[in-house]
Amino acid sequence: MSEAHKITLATAWLDGCSGCHMSFLDLDQRLIELAEKVDVVYSPIVDTKELPPVVDVGILEGAVSTEEDLHKARMFRGRCQFLISLGDCAVSGNVPSMRNTFDLDDVLDRAFVENVQAQPGRPSESLPTLLRTVLPIHHVVQVDLFVQGCPPSADTIWQVLTELMAGNTPDPTQFTRFGA
Amino acid sequence: MGRTIKIDPVSRIEGHAHITLHLDDAGNIDDAKFHLTQFRGFEKFCEGRPFPEMPALTARTCGICPVSHLVASSKACDHLLSVTIPPTAVNLRRVMNLAQLIQSHALSYFHLSSADLLLGMDSDPKSRNLFGLLKVDPQLAKDGIRLRQIGQTVIEMLGGKKIHPGWMVPGGVSGPLSEDSRTAMLAMIPEGLDIAERTFESFKDLIGKFPEEIQHFGNFPTMFLSLITPRGGLEHYDGFFRIKDADGKIVDDMVPLEEYQRIIGEAVEPYSYMKFPYYLPMGYPDGIYRVGPLARLNNCDFCGTKQADQALDEFRALQHDRPVSSSFHFHFARLVEIIFALERMKELLESPHILDTRVRARARGNNDEGIGVAEAPRGTLIHHYKTDDDGLITWANLIIATGHNNLAMNRGIKQAAEHFVDGNHLQEGMLNRVEAVIRCFDPCLSCASHAFGQMPLRIELHDSRGNVVDQMVR
Amino acid sequence: MTHPPAATNPAPKVRVVTLKIDDHDVGARETDSILEIAQANGIRIPSLCYLDGLSTWGACRLCMVEIEGFSKPVSACSTTATEGMKITTNSARLKRYRRMILELLFAERNHVCSVCVSNGHCELQDLAAECGMDHVRVPYRNATYTIDSSHDLFRVDHNRCVVCTRCVRVCDEIEGAHTWDVMGRGVNCQVITDLNQPWGDSQSCTSCGKCVQVCPTGALVKKGTAAGEMEKHDDFVPYLAQMRKRQ
Repeated sequence: MSEAHKITLATAWLDGCSGCHMSFLDLDQRLIELAEKVDVVYSPIVDTKELPPVVDVGILEGAVSTEEDLHKARMFRGRCQFLISLGDCAVSGNVPSMRNTFDLDDVLDRAFVENVQAQPGRPSESLPTLLRTVLPIHHVVQVDLFVQGCPPSADTIWQVLTELMAGNTPDPTQFTRFGA
Repeated sequence: MGRTIKIDPVSRIEGHAHITLHLDDAGNIDDAKFHLTQFRGFEKFCEGRPFPEMPALTARTCGICPVSHLVASSKACDHLLSVTIPPTAVNLRRVMNLAQLIQSHALSYFHLSSADLLLGMDSDPKSRNLFGLLKVDPQLAKDGIRLRQIGQTVIEMLGGKKIHPGWMVPGGVSGPLSEDSRTAMLAMIPEGLDIAERTFESFKDLIGKFPEEIQHFGNFPTMFLSLITPRGGLEHYDGFFRIKDADGKIVDDMVPLEEYQRIIGEAVEPYSYMKFPYYLPMGYPDGIYRVGPLARLNNCDFCGTKQADQALDEFRALQHDRPVSSSFHFHFARLVEIIFALERMKELLESPHILDTRVRARARGNNDEGIGVAEAPRGTLIHHYKTDDDGLITWANLIIATGHNNLAMNRGIKQAAEHFVDGNHLQEGMLNRVEAVIRCFDPCLSCASHAFGQMPLRIELHDSRGNVVDQMVR
Repeated sequence: MTHPPAATNPAPKVRVVTLKIDDHDVGARETDSILEIAQANGIRIPSLCYLDGLSTWGACRLCMVEIEGFSKPVSACSTTATEGMKITTNSARLKRYRRMILELLFAERNHVCSVCVSNGHCELQDLAAECGMDHVRVPYRNATYTIDSSHDLFRVDHNRCVVCTRCVRVCDEIEGAHTWDVMGRGVNCQVITDLNQPWGDSQSCTSCGKCVQVCPTGALVKKGTAAGEMEKHDDFVPYLAQMRKRQ
């Protein structure tokens, strides 16, 4: 397969723990096989920092919890032909959404005022504004495929990617679930 | 009014951050700031949860070092239970913690940083990554993949999953080690050691190519904080705090882990969601210290395993009379620790009682306050909980490994920027070096974001009226 | 335990009926519910509030089936069989309904499977997987619920409760204590102990733990369990129910 026919893949993490990306790296030796078929054009693990205008497959990890996350989710939706919501944080909000039952000011104050010995205060300079409510990705943009798991296993990610590369739409519920 | 260069995001690190370089009118670096742009609020939203859920919950702080959080959290919960956990449980927890050290260090060195070292700081950013490395030095890339896999496989064998395993619980671990798993783990160690030794040798050859980087990548005097064994050896699970100064003088030693509040304070800066821990007796920001592999090797008197101690001697030789001060050598220290972790894991797995089935102390909450401290791959990790009479969390404080290095990372990028960045003639490689300083520290920002991007890197130079005078995008 | 001892009094005579479930011809007693008949014939109908041995509640609506000639679906647990019924258990419409019910259940409280003590052993989680509920389309309520950890042995976490009332029924019908009940209406509906007092203060609770074993989620659990450690065993219920009837 020539370079020109490689599937382009972009990934990003929003509000998550990066565990889904680590699970992607757990593909281990299969990464080598993947690299022959897929061109990772944009990702935290590579240095190309401009999301190309058109990407075949986009993968988003993590929930939407800042204005920046919101912007990134919209940018991915706008530029990716097929958008995957990867992992429980992206699909359901998961652990990051646990702050939703608290008032955001209280959450910030615990970290930056109460548990601090010098210069207490809420940071804001050159930082994205936090959303009051953490949201799953599909609550802000349309998503084409949902892959649950915390994180989805490398085998699950491999199944999803190989099905997609074969031109099929995978059904992740056959091999993963919430909390897997 | 000077100009600002924004590196956004910092890539090939774990988490969301950007860097701003502030220039004076002449185009010289005036200040540099490392901005962590994610915040999650674990310290608050743990409130109300039952403490036995804390290890699994706080493990979600981080997908790279979930095991560190399992360790620190489980230890804090042991403290809440007020139990001494079975010795086999301690050793099994140590095995998992070492496995994680191997996989995390492998990730940092091979997957994230080696592209800079092998392909070059100025190489084409399009292929300056693991996949590019696979083309140029497939053996090294495959070694990295395999080494990380060995660590992850041990974790999976113990905890059922590679990422976010359960198993480590208040009072010990939830199940004993099987004979088959032990055999399989031991079988992987020689291969791991071969890779670790091979990589260590090749790295030593590489460092000759980076004299400027070694000189200017966060190379300045700071104190070092780490855990040590009661005899002063390298420690990752328990022990005591030791703080050494830049001259190698011990500032504070054998500090019990429960007394962390006596030595560590936290400060806030308005430009980051990551806090700034400091050595409390010296105040902020004078109490700057570094943690992690560099600090651990600078602080310990010995590693305690054969090959690692030989490698430690070579580490010491980098800077004869005093602790190694260049943050570039975090990489060096990381490779020494991989060797140590494999050797130590072998010892533990070969110990006669490792298959014992008594691996969990059962008790209910007997303390209303628990503190758990361990060495995560990136440095000292502290979990501190308070509970009500029914065992529900009322307050939590987490001091994250990466956070300790926050002051030093900020100072490090400033130093590198001052040396490498010419504000009037920007080149991509200059800025990659500033990012590479951060990669030396191997920050784990999802951790630090208990408070965590990917935006195009757009660098703009503004004049004093805010007009764009130069820009570049990658 | 599936074959309890025969009752001493002969049961009143019941007629046998034949019916069709998903094209399977099955025979049953006319007093049997569609759900019981399906289960006896190895035909899977998703259900949540139903538990063999407890009274039928019919609240969760997951076991809805279609009967030929009826315009609306009916709950299989609370509908008895009649001669010649033709039943469909898995039409596109039923699948759609079940999925929506599950989405609403997940959105109502705060179910965070990954860190739940019942992760991997939860009926709600299994139902989501079975019914292909891979994401929740409605907004999450994010309502604050408390945890009552005052009992010596057990804990109730309302964040994870689906108000199936199995706990209420097992406590009343099998243990005979009636510690559990339900208060509030609609979205404010919540299980309570005694007159909404802390569980640990309950005078009626015998600490038997049946409520914990029948709870389908991580809402009622044994204390001291870490994530994923809470496995439930409710197969004692039909046996105890039969034994109670004999007394």
